[in-house]
Amino acid sequence: MAESASVLDVTAREALAELLMSVADDEFIIGFWDSEWTGIAPMLEEDVATSSIAQDEIGHARALYELLAELTDDDADRIAFGRDAADFRHAALMNHARGDWALSVARRYLYETADAVRLTALARSSHQPLALLAGKMRREETYHQLHADAWLRRLSEGGAEGRGRLTTALERLWPDAQDIFAPLVGEEALVREGLLRESMQAMHAAWQAQVRPILEPICGELPSATPSRDGRLRRTDDFAWLHGEFTSVAGSEEAATW
Amino acid sequence: MTERVWEVFRQEDEGDPMIHAGNVNAPDEELAMHYAREFYGRRGESHRLWIVAREAITELDDPDLLKPPFDRSHKKPGGYIIKHKLEAAKQRAASEAGE
Repeated sequence: MAESASVLDVTAREALAELLMSVADDEFIIGFWDSEWTGIAPMLEEDVATSSIAQDEIGHARALYELLAELTDDDADRIAFGRDAADFRHAALMNHARGDWALSVARRYLYETADAVRLTALARSSHQPLALLAGKMRREETYHQLHADAWLRRLSEGGAEGRGRLTTALERLWPDAQDIFAPLVGEEALVREGLLRESMQAMHAAWQAQVRPILEPICGELPSATPSRDGRLRRTDDFAWLHGEFTSVAGSEEAATW
Repeated sequence: MTERVWEVFRQEDEGDPMIHAGNVNAPDEELAMHYAREFYGRRGESHRLWIVAREAITELDDPDLLKPPFDRSHKKPGGYIIKHKLEAAKQRAASEAGE
């Protein structure tokens, strides 16, 4: 059992860094995509809610980047804004552009449910700072998930158009959503040291068992799907565009402090 | 979406009065709760919120009932001038204590 990162061997440290970066990048990128709704969400109140949730996700990413920076003697802002697009480790689910409202709702639902499974495991991590942070994040994510649930139900019960768009979005995102549980480099070391209490494979199975009974009545049977090896390495033009957007301010004045 | 208006009341700390904060538009109670939370609680400024559908509120604004035409000053505490009586009582108490 590793109480603090200093007693970890190199393999485990590197694996922990990989884990922190993958979770942080997921939160960071979904936060940025959802912030694209600011000003154009379906109604004013929803605009404020969506923007606020997007901001929460970026806040979670920041806290995780700070843990990572401490571990690797780096700087959180540099990790967030100073990396090339190829160095990001978000799951393929976050490669899709904002799309229509149904796509954003479908993605948030898939992500929040998977994230809840992951946070439960992280809250029991032997790396105390991560366990504490995951516990705090979980309190806020509970509300995010309620919000995503509410919208999933609204769209699925609210008439043919909403249901149709939601079904299209769920079918499109389903394969890439699996990659939230893509195997991590050094995962064996993570599980061995108790840094990660459950394997990605086990979490993936738990998540599927939870969401299939909710989603299949809406969109019909979903194909069998498993996380892919390169699930956190694939990049799209959509992501390249977003990366250009979120690095443009930091890139305009290097070494500026905010 | 058919929107309804929900009036939101907030309490800053346990035991404080519920004070009208404002209102939100939302199609149902569930989203009204989310929006009230975002508008009146996201900065940690509220201990509790009450979210009430506007149509559930019974309104009374009849001037005959609320602003009757006769002098009502005798129903206000200020209708009784006790300032001088109070001063006299204080003086009396002081002189009795001095005896």
